[in-house]
Amino acid sequence: MKQNNLNYRVLLFLFLFPCFVFAQNTISGTVSTDAGEPVPFANVIEQGTSNGTTTDVDGNYSIDVGSLPATLVISSLGYETVERAVTSAGTVNITMAESAEALEEVIVTGLATSIKRSNSANAVASISAEKIAGTTPPPTLDGALYGKFTGVVINQNSGAPGGGLSVRLRGVTSIQGNTQPLYIVDGVYVDNSSIAAGLNAVSAAAAGGNSAALLQDNASNRIADLNPDDVERIEILKGASAAAIYGSRAAAGVVIITTKRGKSGETKFKFNQSVGWTEAVNLLGLRDYTESRVLDTFGESAAQDFVTAQSQGRIIDYENELYGEKGIHSITNFSMSGGNKDTKYYASVAYNNEDGIVRRTGYEKLSLRMNLNHKPKEWLDLSLSTNFVNSSSDRGFFNNDNSGTTIGVTLTGTTPWLQLFPDANGVYPDNPSGASNPLQTRDLVTNNEKVNRFIMGGSATIDIFKTDKQSLELILGGGLDVYGQQSRALFPKELQFQKPANGGLNGVSIQGDTQNKNYNLQGFLVHNYETNNDINFRTQLGATRLFFDQNTQLITATGLVASESNVDQAANTGVNQTRAKVEESGFFIQEEINFQDKFIATLGVRGDKSSNNGDPNEIFYFPKGSLAVNLNNFGFWNEDSKWDAFKIRAAYGEAGNIPPIGGKFTSYNSFSTDGLLGISLVGIKGSPDLAFERQKELEFGIDLGFFGGRISFEGTYYIKTVEDLILRSALEPSTGFTTEISNAGELENKGWELGLYTIPVDTDDFLWEFGVNFFKNTSEITQLDVAPFNIGAFGATLGTYRIEEGRSATQLVGIGPNPDESGFQVFGDAEPDFQMAFDNVLQWRNLELKFLWQWKNGGDNVNLTTLLSDLNGTTHDYDTIDLDPSGTLGNGPYRLSQLGSSAEVFIEDASYLRLRELGFYYSVPDKFLDGLLGGAIDGVRLGFSGTNLVNIFDYNSYDPEVSNFGGNTAFTGIEVTPFPSSKRFLFHVGVNF
Amino acid sequence: MKNYIYKISFFIALLVGTVSCNIEEIVDLNGPESTAFAESLTRGDLQDLIGGVLYSSRLRLGTYYDDCGVIGREYWRFSGSDPRFTTDLLGGQNSVLDNNTFYITGPWASRYRTVKNANLILGFFDSQDLSGQFTQQEVNAARGLLNTFIAYELLLNLNLTNEGGIRLDVSDENNLGPFVGRTAALEGIQSFLTEGASQLNNGGGSFPFSLTSGFAGFDTPGTFRQFNRAIAARVAAYQGNSGAVLSALNESFLSLNGDLNTGVYYTFSQDQTDIANPLFISAGGSSEAQARIVQPLFVSEAEAGDTRVAGKTIQLGETITLDDLTGDYIVNRYTSLTDNIPIIRNEELILLYAEANISGNSGEAVNALNIIRNSAGLGNYGGGTDSASLTDEMLNQRRYSLFAEGHRWIDMRRYNRLGDLPLDRPDDDVWSEFPIPLTENQ
Repeated sequence: MKQNNLNYRVLLFLFLFPCFVFAQNTISGTVSTDAGEPVPFANVIEQGTSNGTTTDVDGNYSIDVGSLPATLVISSLGYETVERAVTSAGTVNITMAESAEALEEVIVTGLATSIKRSNSANAVASISAEKIAGTTPPPTLDGALYGKFTGVVINQNSGAPGGGLSVRLRGVTSIQGNTQPLYIVDGVYVDNSSIAAGLNAVSAAAAGGNSAALLQDNASNRIADLNPDDVERIEILKGASAAAIYGSRAAAGVVIITTKRGKSGETKFKFNQSVGWTEAVNLLGLRDYTESRVLDTFGESAAQDFVTAQSQGRIIDYENELYGEKGIHSITNFSMSGGNKDTKYYASVAYNNEDGIVRRTGYEKLSLRMNLNHKPKEWLDLSLSTNFVNSSSDRGFFNNDNSGTTIGVTLTGTTPWLQLFPDANGVYPDNPSGASNPLQTRDLVTNNEKVNRFIMGGSATIDIFKTDKQSLELILGGGLDVYGQQSRALFPKELQFQKPANGGLNGVSIQGDTQNKNYNLQGFLVHNYETNNDINFRTQLGATRLFFDQNTQLITATGLVASESNVDQAANTGVNQTRAKVEESGFFIQEEINFQDKFIATLGVRGDKSSNNGDPNEIFYFPKGSLAVNLNNFGFWNEDSKWDAFKIRAAYGEAGNIPPIGGKFTSYNSFSTDGLLGISLVGIKGSPDLAFERQKELEFGIDLGFFGGRISFEGTYYIKTVEDLILRSALEPSTGFTTEISNAGELENKGWELGLYTIPVDTDDFLWEFGVNFFKNTSEITQLDVAPFNIGAFGATLGTYRIEEGRSATQLVGIGPNPDESGFQVFGDAEPDFQMAFDNVLQWRNLELKFLWQWKNGGDNVNLTTLLSDLNGTTHDYDTIDLDPSGTLGNGPYRLSQLGSSAEVFIEDASYLRLRELGFYYSVPDKFLDGLLGGAIDGVRLGFSGTNLVNIFDYNSYDPEVSNFGGNTAFTGIEVTPFPSSKRFLFHVGVNF
Repeated sequence: MKNYIYKISFFIALLVGTVSCNIEEIVDLNGPESTAFAESLTRGDLQDLIGGVLYSSRLRLGTYYDDCGVIGREYWRFSGSDPRFTTDLLGGQNSVLDNNTFYITGPWASRYRTVKNANLILGFFDSQDLSGQFTQQEVNAARGLLNTFIAYELLLNLNLTNEGGIRLDVSDENNLGPFVGRTAALEGIQSFLTEGASQLNNGGGSFPFSLTSGFAGFDTPGTFRQFNRAIAARVAAYQGNSGAVLSALNESFLSLNGDLNTGVYYTFSQDQTDIANPLFISAGGSSEAQARIVQPLFVSEAEAGDTRVAGKTIQLGETITLDDLTGDYIVNRYTSLTDNIPIIRNEELILLYAEANISGNSGEAVNALNIIRNSAGLGNYGGGTDSASLTDEMLNQRRYSLFAEGHRWIDMRRYNRLGDLPLDRPDDDVWSEFPIPLTENQ
């Protein structure tokens, strides 16, 4: 039967590839680990020749050497390389030790294959589990990326619990299309939507003509659902040169996440418990009120109230009242892994319960994972990942509004002599100087998001054909990402701004339900062919198919009955449904040629079609090509040289960014007029021939290594252009449309990325690892086929982004005394001058100290929190005099005097230096554990860690990291009274048994 | 073993199958595309499309009325979230009207969107044989209604830009007609109205769709034509053509002894996909953060006993101050979120009738003015019957009768009396018109 099978397979593919067989001195045996597990696919090479083979799935090998004695060199991913002198033919079994630097060795770059780091022509960065969550558990998975990669800019949109981050790879890649990278977890295309809860019905943030309504709802993004503790490795493909193989969705980069898997052997249990608290990074404090200042700003009756309150000791810092809480955090992780030769598993449970710095906000998550690998036949390998997540976040009511109702906006007008606390019966007084009482809003408003999510990925690897010189694998895979998200926002009728007498809606209940289903199917053929003179060819052929389907229903009920929250218990009910459906299909072919590890060249092309394009069946091609030259493999210097690595590399690739859903349509929307249904245009004209944005990236780099891995350096320069930029350009409004979506521009990013990693000290007792990275990006709009336009903020009076040919894509302009020919003056740029990070790991015996500093230098924000506070006379630095060049006006009056004549004061430098992560751990020595539970405990670790413990910045608000319009925009850094950011302190205990 | 091979082959076949099949064209899942009705327009579709015209005709109306009311010094608009109501619109300090700010771009684009909604329907009528769905009379009636709407929407934009003009011909978005000045624009608007009136004449007894309660009494082609003629009378008054005013009024719903409030209205509701009355702010909800404060002279200059003052304003318990403007009366012309806003009503028609008779038949003018005065609890007009005096009286009656209905600024402008409007702060200005929006590329 088995023989039959082999024949069958050989017959099937023999005609495709030539096959060579030689009869020589044969050495055979098994390669296994210390624990006795076989090491499959290890390379076995006769030293000094190009002769070699690989072990089969059971670790068996057989090699014919030219002469004896010979030296075999056995290497495999994740293991220390073994050299074994063999004097006679016969059986030689070899044991390999697991490598400490296993993760550095190989990087996943293709859809189906990986490549040795030393052979990669791209600067692909990867981090391991230890770097992801080893120092301190990151609040969300994307939060674990801060400072650990060059070229990766992460921005937190707000401090609300449950996430909300944007990740930008190598500059702005799209103006109005998707700017967020593609996330792939174990082969599954994972959705990262931010779904708005419909709060605009109350905040009216989009009134006054700002159409970005849904973006201002402070929604979280769905990558927050992944449990950082489950992740084994993260790789980031930053641009098209590396990501071309991912085609039309890869222009913003690809984040490849691999979760942990079991290893055969004894079952290992890991339990980690962290407990701690979170508190605001930076509170601004009260204005320095005096009677005369109050009289001056607020008038006579306020001055009297102030004096009375002062004499009664009733001056209340409402900022501290609202944002001064310490939120308790608890994170529990439990995992179990193990298996045997054929079946391996990893299972984990994680439970997070995190309270925010504002009362009644918080985040709760339960994550269950089961990863399974099974090898039913020696030629078949099955892999399955499943993840279930249940999360719930209470996000409060923040960000911009036009109704004076959000907590943040109201706080800017709340003076400390007001009495806003409830009376003995729990009745809150109306705020006499604003539309809402922020304490009442905090205590009565609910804004909750609940997610139930199931992510499942599976793959089958089939060895169709294998000889010592060539192999053919078929890899079939699929992934499914299904979730339901519920948003529930409740504004009870007793709220000040809901009372009809105050013009309120008498209670609002907004219920949103989203069903999301993504699935992807893929199949690849990988052929490896090794010639006698050590030239390897690897050919890949594959096809992918993607389906995305999202359906959101939002019900808004106003005029609630009694204290009901059901949407049918209301005077008025409105329903809104939004569906998004995309189908994509792609194929690729790639050839990789490796000449003796000296020259490694890759050529490939991907073709893609998408239902979002004007013509859904037009195929768009994305080519790639790269070359790496390993100079230290040329024998220029001898074996014991201090040079470990000297590689120069160049890579070129193209990738796409799909057009926005619905961008090709000019459609009606339905409305009603006093009970009569009607359909009206909404002012947006679609483009029937809309196509992908196309990114072209060229990257050069050099990698150096010295002193046995003690010093390594990586430097990269890239030029990345984005053609066919999808823009919403302004149309003459008399057409009936105000904007049109079209492919109408081109931009360019150029940048440097440098990384230096060293091990200055490495003794038996003491280890010090130090890494520093630096990166810088500049962008320019190189072509604009539409008129220059302002975007991403609240207009030129207050400072805005402006897209203009020949300028930076992220320039900030505004009205000002010295306008250029465009009529505006440039006051800044959101792009940082550079970013750096310093990573330290110090180990002394059983003590371990790790810390990561991150420095963003330059880059500007538009700070409107300060403006709103100034308008209300409440800013903490209102009376300080250090802005007015003439030295007469306080900062508040000075900024107000500029309102309407210059936007300069609203555009502020947003540099920062942060101690992003700090961890201090003590591993209990084995001798104390031996007696416990009969020695069943393998390790106990105790520790303390923190996130954002030190934050240094000049920016005049809560945090320079902010985005009123959420994450999926190139234009972050606009601040309107956000949820303040927080720092976190945690204590840990971890037990392995 | 063969089993596996079969299974693998099955997988490959499945994969190849899914890849090789074409991607289906996905239509817009969230709303009908604008081309959807070009080949088959049903009665139900026409109802929805007309409903869309009614909907969009109310978009940004609040901004339009605030533009007219604030510059016409009827009231001040206080807004905590937008200072430009009290800076730019009043010309405070060095502020001027900007050509890319919401006060002009918002209403301007919304009116043209309504024109586009209407033009698309006219296009659907032209692009197909509708005989299976509609009678020719029904099509005529619909055309007449749409042309009336187009004319009225264009008029509102012209009211803002005045001498700067508007585009009349915007039916082809890829080939827009030129901007024309005020005179030509008014003529163009009249010809849309004339065309609409003649189509309504041939429109039979009923529309093939229903209208909102705001059109009660004007919801057949014949009665809608009276509304069309009422608008024509207003346009003729703007053209300074008294004869045309009187002949248009003759075919309108003017009724000297009828209810002053008979007319056509914008209607609102609190339905989620509807618009609430944008001009209502309750007394309790009025603060410096949001309020419409009556310009104090409106109260102090009123004749004693004028019931229109008490009817259209409310005095607050204390004053509200913003940006050096202080007042204690708020606009109470609209009293709830679902209150109607008049498009045109009999009271204006009587005043137009008075205005058109000033030069030719002053007795009839006085008679009409007295109808208005008496309805406001005032005695008969006792001033001079020369043109100048009667014009003063007519403008004063319009000021009180049409308060917060978007007329004062336009009336004072067409009589070259903007200089008579009060300046509340020393550096304020009274603008005569808004600039043409930046994105019109003029």
